Amino acid sequence: MSEFVETISRSEDGRFLELLIGPQHPASGHMRLVAEVDGDVVVSLRPNLGYVHRSVEKIAEVKKFLQIIPLVERPSLADTTANNLAYVLALERLLGVEPPPRAQYLRTLLAEINRIHSHFYGIGIHGVMIGSSTAFMWAFGDREPLIHLAQELTGARITYSYIIPGGVRRDMPPDFPDKVEKVLRYIERRLEDYDKLYVRNPVVRARLEGVGVLKKEDAIRLGITGPNLRASGVPYDVRKADPYCAYPDIDFNVITREEGDAMARFLVRVGEIRESMKIIRQVLKKMPDGPIFAEKYYKMLPPNLKKYYEETKEVKFPGIFANLRAPAGESVARVEGGRGEVVIYIVSKGGMNPYRFRIVTPSFRNAVLFEHLVRNVRVADIPAIYGSLDYFPPEADR
Amino acid sequence: MAVERVFDHLRAIATGAKYLFLKPRLTLMYPDEVEDLPRGYRGMITYNHETCISCSLCAMVCPADAIKMYLPKEVPEGEKRPKRYPGINYTRCIFCGFCVSICPTFSLQHSTIHDVSFYTFEEQIFRPEEFAKGPPKPQYDKEPVKVRVIPDEERGLRYERV
Repeated sequence: MSEFVETISRSEDGRFLELLIGPQHPASGHMRLVAEVDGDVVVSLRPNLGYVHRSVEKIAEVKKFLQIIPLVERPSLADTTANNLAYVLALERLLGVEPPPRAQYLRTLLAEINRIHSHFYGIGIHGVMIGSSTAFMWAFGDREPLIHLAQELTGARITYSYIIPGGVRRDMPPDFPDKVEKVLRYIERRLEDYDKLYVRNPVVRARLEGVGVLKKEDAIRLGITGPNLRASGVPYDVRKADPYCAYPDIDFNVITREEGDAMARFLVRVGEIRESMKIIRQVLKKMPDGPIFAEKYYKMLPPNLKKYYEETKEVKFPGIFANLRAPAGESVARVEGGRGEVVIYIVSKGGMNPYRFRIVTPSFRNAVLFEHLVRNVRVADIPAIYGSLDYFPPEADR
Repeated sequence: MAVERVFDHLRAIATGAKYLFLKPRLTLMYPDEVEDLPRGYRGMITYNHETCISCSLCAMVCPADAIKMYLPKEVPEGEKRPKRYPGINYTRCIFCGFCVSICPTFSLQHSTIHDVSFYTFEEQIFRPEEFAKGPPKPQYDKEPVKVRVIPDEERGLRYERV
């Protein structure tokens, strides 16, 4: 509190004005931005976080291991698979379970479907922030076919809870690859429309090009991850740097751009949508046959549940899952989510709950970017920069 | 350069205008049209009291404490340790389906019902007796048209009458 009073008194010569943006919107979401302005120029901007803090880490300490799966999905609703996957990878390292290859591919499939619709979400929000409501409507509409695909695969639209220790919860339906191919062709065609309406639109380019430039050195120094880092010319992607699931077998490129401005961050996302489509096609082509649930847990199922699993390819949990105990130790896993690197760290003392649980979300790392990028820019550039970061307050506050 | 920009403007407007003449594409006209959800959709939960063995795994695995084990309202004479049965609180349920996945006797199953509203908090708590009667039916003003959602190359999603 005292800090705020100080700021106001420092500008008592009357030159600077303190401007509060949010938390009740101008596209700020659940966050307040305190901007100090000199006329139309922002001198400094301090993001005030924590409006949607939900104490995920502390709640996790009183939840059982399986119950944490839906919990870690909650902070970032547009990108639930990344959190789900990172948590389960960390837990599997503790438990010493290796999922079968088909499960690895199904995980990759869902992660990429999720990445595309997460990027559409970011593009849509960015569009409406700079005043292009068509881009917003289009992007949110075009998320829908992908959400429908994910729903066919998992049974839920957003909070999939699909990835469990030892595998995934169900196999894909037999006609799923055809449906995916149709949706991918649709998205391909639509991306051309986006290109005409949005990417090459002179209004959009005037708003985004050269705005909020993040230099390569600064991006590394500030610990930025994900598309925001790659837009500054650093080819770092966890899928390549520390491969997990089926990514070692998949051929894809890391999209980078050199400019580091808002437009580059936007174009990296568009490029990643194209790469994700490439990955999905490869995953469907290379998908091996076989079980989707680890042998270790399959053996614990009673005969009638084994039979059900063989017939329907829907995993029934063994009773041990209700009170899963992880051996004492610690483990860490990282995953490339739609917005950047998700890191999950678990300390177990051998009980039914983690002793300590840590989740590092990409949005939290990107929060420092506001302060860094919004300096000596126009007030109207704040939403243009904000949107280009694909920042999601609940994910940062956790 | 300037000429190019004029063309870019025109191209953007033309692209938007192209979609003026197409019918609404992705919007499902809910509640006049309702999606015919496939098997495996994680909707409200049905409970079969006959096959339940009172193992309480569902209550143990529930991440939101929505499922609790209830004692029967009237305990039969001479029963020292009456069995407990699950009831559900839909104010807490997050539809993760862990209870359905862990139920060893298939007593808990997903229905495709998801669009139900309640007037009070208490109505959403289903004790085992009410839970066994199944989830409430959604109330529509008039009988909705059931449509199947089909991914489509041209339109993204297409809705076909069932």
